[in-house]
Amino acid sequence: MPTSVVECWWRPFRKVGRAEVVHVDLAPHAAREAAALTWLDEKERAHRQRYLHRGPRRRFALCRTALRALLCRRLGCRNERLAFGASDHGKPYALVQGEPAPISFNVSHSGEHGLIALAEEGRLGVDVEERRVRRDLDGLIRTVLGQEEQAQLASARGYRKLHLFYDFWTLKEALVKALGLGLSLDMSRFEIPPAMRQGGTTCTFQFPQAPAIRWRLVDLGNERFAAAIAHELDLDSN
Amino acid sequence: MASTSARIRTLINENLEVDGQSIDLPQDLNISLVEAGVPSMDLVAFAKLVSKEFNITFTIEHCTQFKSVQELVDFIDSQS
Repeated sequence: MPTSVVECWWRPFRKVGRAEVVHVDLAPHAAREAAALTWLDEKERAHRQRYLHRGPRRRFALCRTALRALLCRRLGCRNERLAFGASDHGKPYALVQGEPAPISFNVSHSGEHGLIALAEEGRLGVDVEERRVRRDLDGLIRTVLGQEEQAQLASARGYRKLHLFYDFWTLKEALVKALGLGLSLDMSRFEIPPAMRQGGTTCTFQFPQAPAIRWRLVDLGNERFAAAIAHELDLDSN
Repeated sequence: MASTSARIRTLINENLEVDGQSIDLPQDLNISLVEAGVPSMDLVAFAKLVSKEFNITFTIEHCTQFKSVQELVDFIDSQS
């Protein structure tokens, strides 16, 4: 267990309905990274090694180990029995002794922050982004936002504009990740509901292309990062 | 005009970085942008740049589906 020699680097962050969100500290930390490596299987170590830079290697190892620890606790299994498969679009799922495990999860990381969302059922998507200044902000706005979203940002300037963009991006990215279609879905084809764009922190969302499925959408952002979670609501919640 | 691979190298060198570091692409371009650690937001921006540079339809899905930058170069060449 990494926790036996190094203090845990993940902490409960939020409860969102029946989903649990955990924050993972991804700051450089040699002892944590060394402990994390002992938790990864051969395939994961090879995956980590393929990253060109130390930062992505560190983020992958620390996040994947935190995920393993959380899943083992929830599923009551040993780390050695846990493995991961991936959907056609690359969304990972848990396997225990080769069988799909009854749990839903999603992982995101940016800079020194990772978020892991877990729930017993319902598709989940989570996204976290450190608010980095971007020289291509206007181009991104035109590419990924819908008309009404763009109109709202048109009157914003400076940090306010950047802040709003990251809010919109994380909300959209969480929804796209929850769908599990990778980035094949054009993000400009759906818009965040006006109440959320005006500062609301939670809403029920329906894709215009698939209105029968409802999603709980929650803004998880704070002063350190923008973040959001999307969780599929079951029929009882509709 | 420079080759497609040279133009892609230039686009990557001038526009993509990971944790403030430029991406040191291998000579054979046998690495994916995802493995290079490029975040999804940067991939969206990069796809837009590629579309403009080569005047083709190029999306973030292309960025993620190709297993290497060389495959991306081959795709662009196949579009011209």
